[in-house]
Amino acid sequence: MSIQNLIMNLQKFWTDQGCYLAQPYDLEVGAGTMTPDTFFRVLDKRPWKVAYVQPSRRPTDGRYGENPHRVQKHFQYQVIIKPSPPDIQQVYIKSLVSLGINVQEHDLRFDEDDWESPSIGAWGVGWQVLLDGLEITQFTYFQQAGGIDLSPVPVELTYGLERLEMFLEGKDDIYDLDWSHDVSYQDLRYLEEKEFSEYNFSQADIRSLKESFRLNEREAQQLIDKDLLLPAYDMCLKCSHFFNLLDSRGAISVTERVKMIAEIRTLVSQIAQKYVAREDSS
Amino acid sequence: MEFLLEVFTEEMPPSHVKTALSQLGEKFKEELLSRNVDAKKIEIYGTCRRLIIFGDLAPEQKDRKEEIIGPPKAVAFQDDGTPAPAAKGFAKSQGVEVNKLEVIKTDKGEYLGIKKIEKGRPTQNILSEILPSLISSLSFPKMMRWGSSSFRFSRPIKNLLCVVNEKPLSFSVGGVTAGNFTYGHKLQCPKKIKVKTFHEYKVTLRKMRVVVNQEERRRMILSQIERKLASLNARCYPDEELLERLSYDVEYPYIFLGSFPEDYLNLPIEVLSTALREGQRLFSVVKEKKQLPFFLGVADGYRDVKSLIQKGNERVLKARLEDAKFFWTQDQKSGLRNKSKNLGKIVFQEKLGSYEDKTQRMKKIVAYLADKVDAQKIKKQVVQGAELSKVDLLTDMVREFPSLQGKVGGLYAREEGHPAPVWKAVYEHYQPVSMEDESPSSLTGSVLSIADKLDSIVGAVGVGVHVTGSKDPFGLRRNAQGVCKIILDKKFNFSFSRLLGKVMDVYGAKIREPETQVKNYCLEFFANRLRYIYEKQGYRYDLINAVLSAGIDNIYYSFLRVKALDSLKDSPNFEPLILIFKRVNNILRDQPPFRINSGLFVEKDERELYTTFCIIKDNVLPLIKKGDFSQAQRIIFRIKSSINNFFDNVLVMANETRIRRNRLALLQAIYKLLVQVADYSQIVIEGQNLSK
Repeated sequence: MSIQNLIMNLQKFWTDQGCYLAQPYDLEVGAGTMTPDTFFRVLDKRPWKVAYVQPSRRPTDGRYGENPHRVQKHFQYQVIIKPSPPDIQQVYIKSLVSLGINVQEHDLRFDEDDWESPSIGAWGVGWQVLLDGLEITQFTYFQQAGGIDLSPVPVELTYGLERLEMFLEGKDDIYDLDWSHDVSYQDLRYLEEKEFSEYNFSQADIRSLKESFRLNEREAQQLIDKDLLLPAYDMCLKCSHFFNLLDSRGAISVTERVKMIAEIRTLVSQIAQKYVAREDSS
Repeated sequence: MEFLLEVFTEEMPPSHVKTALSQLGEKFKEELLSRNVDAKKIEIYGTCRRLIIFGDLAPEQKDRKEEIIGPPKAVAFQDDGTPAPAAKGFAKSQGVEVNKLEVIKTDKGEYLGIKKIEKGRPTQNILSEILPSLISSLSFPKMMRWGSSSFRFSRPIKNLLCVVNEKPLSFSVGGVTAGNFTYGHKLQCPKKIKVKTFHEYKVTLRKMRVVVNQEERRRMILSQIERKLASLNARCYPDEELLERLSYDVEYPYIFLGSFPEDYLNLPIEVLSTALREGQRLFSVVKEKKQLPFFLGVADGYRDVKSLIQKGNERVLKARLEDAKFFWTQDQKSGLRNKSKNLGKIVFQEKLGSYEDKTQRMKKIVAYLADKVDAQKIKKQVVQGAELSKVDLLTDMVREFPSLQGKVGGLYAREEGHPAPVWKAVYEHYQPVSMEDESPSSLTGSVLSIADKLDSIVGAVGVGVHVTGSKDPFGLRRNAQGVCKIILDKKFNFSFSRLLGKVMDVYGAKIREPETQVKNYCLEFFANRLRYIYEKQGYRYDLINAVLSAGIDNIYYSFLRVKALDSLKDSPNFEPLILIFKRVNNILRDQPPFRINSGLFVEKDERELYTTFCIIKDNVLPLIKKGDFSQAQRIIFRIKSSINNFFDNVLVMANETRIRRNRLALLQAIYKLLVQVADYSQIVIEGQNLSK
């Protein structure tokens, strides 16, 4: 099964479960959790079911295309269901079966792994799902986001598509994976990994990144004051990406790091609180 | 009457299962006891998905007998034998006929009264009352909510099975209603089954690939390991923590043996075994203390027909080991000293600066401490160790395997050719990580470990972090216990409060709280850790209090003092001395300090006491100095008769101020000497409960 078949399978499976099929968000994010389809929708009281592929960037994980497991951009398959259904574990196992995995022949384990994201004030309780020792999914019951207790509680499933595909194809090198029957991961991604690693580690312009961080931070605050919460949140995502780039450039001092994370968290918390207040009054 | 409860959940962490099982056992027994339900047998079992109570209980509560006492028999009847108004009134107030009153014998004589027998209610009624609160009262290290409910538990509860006398008992907890069914193994046999008895439950679940008894699963793991290793003539590297974890992690253990390419054996054993244990939770295989290129894994199932589980794990492990090998060579491309330039980029603690700052402080602290513990000859090496100690935080190896911090730095230092006292200092400086862990074997490691931990504690307290109840975000308790353990194990003999002062000096302006406040907080904090340690060692709490409230300036000596008190607590001299001390203590309360003027002693007995005291003091002080507290204590006993005579024949509170003050001064001097061993007023004497 190729990656694109894997994606199509998951899309089919989760739409059959009643999920709305979102498209990848068009900004750089570190994880599917950070997109508005998750961040805002978990805050309010309304039921929500969504599934989507989200390209996720982690500049420091770049290895110039030379490491068989690590890449500075990977693809997550993100599912959010709120409230968490009582049978979600079985449904998840069924999704693996739908990919042709005979679960009775394997060792599938739900291994304690709680999740936390300080910059968006979020945490949850759950597991890393291990298939014969390989981590293929992060399974989390969200408890808080933007510093706010979530009720009802959403469940988040994040499949690591490359990991899962390596399992399905039985391959040890990410670049050997088939994206389609005649296009490989190497064809699509190698050059991107190589060039972006160079950019992330050596070329990204530190001064303009710092400036961009400040500009976007200021704009986020202005937008929050005008109750334009979705654009304000976009600005926070940009700040977060600039921060990650500065980090991979090794350009952040001790005190700056703490301060910058706190700054993003403060903005995000304000957005979350205003969003919830607005939802409650409408 | 048979009782079975199963709380069926999504996978709970092993630590949660363990605490839940012990809470369930205790609380259930307590509840039954308080409700007068006899239990012949209570057994507690659990897996990561099930918490189970099996019991053989009495079918009913015991009947409750109650006696209501009325008037004394003597006044209850008139002369003619008819009931007096007192008896009539009582009968009326109880709603019974007066002729139903019985004679009840009490300690105070015979009374009229009534005996009531409250019939015990059926146990199942009691159970349906206590079980919901029992289950929802369980507490876990971290709790969660799920769905639309506000109920909190370790992980979502999916089903409740409760059977009493083969019949379902219905109640609800967290939105789930109990019934008489459960489910088999999550993957191998997820079917629903009906349950009537515990025997049937065990047997059927076993067929459905669930072994409910944790001890049995543990035995299965061990015996399978033995079988798998028989042909290799090797053994599994013992790892009790991992074994226990895995015996809860799986419902039906299946052991698989896998291998990895031999070239990875070039990695240090610390790295190899950590790579195996963390992530995939695999056991290492050793033969004659050498690691073999094999591993053992525990799968949750009963077979691996196509060896898919084994092969999958081998692939994942190979990638992990490949990473480790890459880190091992990559990290060594630039030396530790070169790497240390970047220590300034990693935060130690927000308000306390970077690891560069911490390293500089530790260098000064170890230099000071080396002098104090007679370790001048290793001073240079321990300073070098301090310099390198935190550099491994910048290595890829520690980033990948955080639990190897310290060890990795030590291994790299060894590879770079640093002498053993230096690399061992680095290697061992996080030890001991718990009271069960070993203290550093090297002197350099011991000194460095104390400096590191004390730096963290004083720094955190200095910026206002306080440890309360379950809140200890920086692990200060563990650090402080580590410091105490090393000092006691190594018999380090130095002034602890001066060391605290030194650490504060080194911090300088970074400490924001007032200096005395920080110092006092630290001293009290350490006294509490010592109390915990001594109590764990089985010393009597009042002896511990007596020692600790006399101060812990010398931590090692505090231990010797506890030991001395403990060894002399049964001596006939012990109790009189304590009474004397308490008396002295009472007289001196609220008195300002005075000075002895030997020319002002007028009575014979006070002069004699002064002389005895001077002799005792001259003998005792050197003993105290060298830590021989038992002998010091034995000599102190000799003050008894002089001081008794003094109290019998001399009026302390004399009218003349000078005389009075001089007598108080003498008692103060005695007090000051005695309190160097212990604050005896804290010791409890049988029949007296003066202090705690």
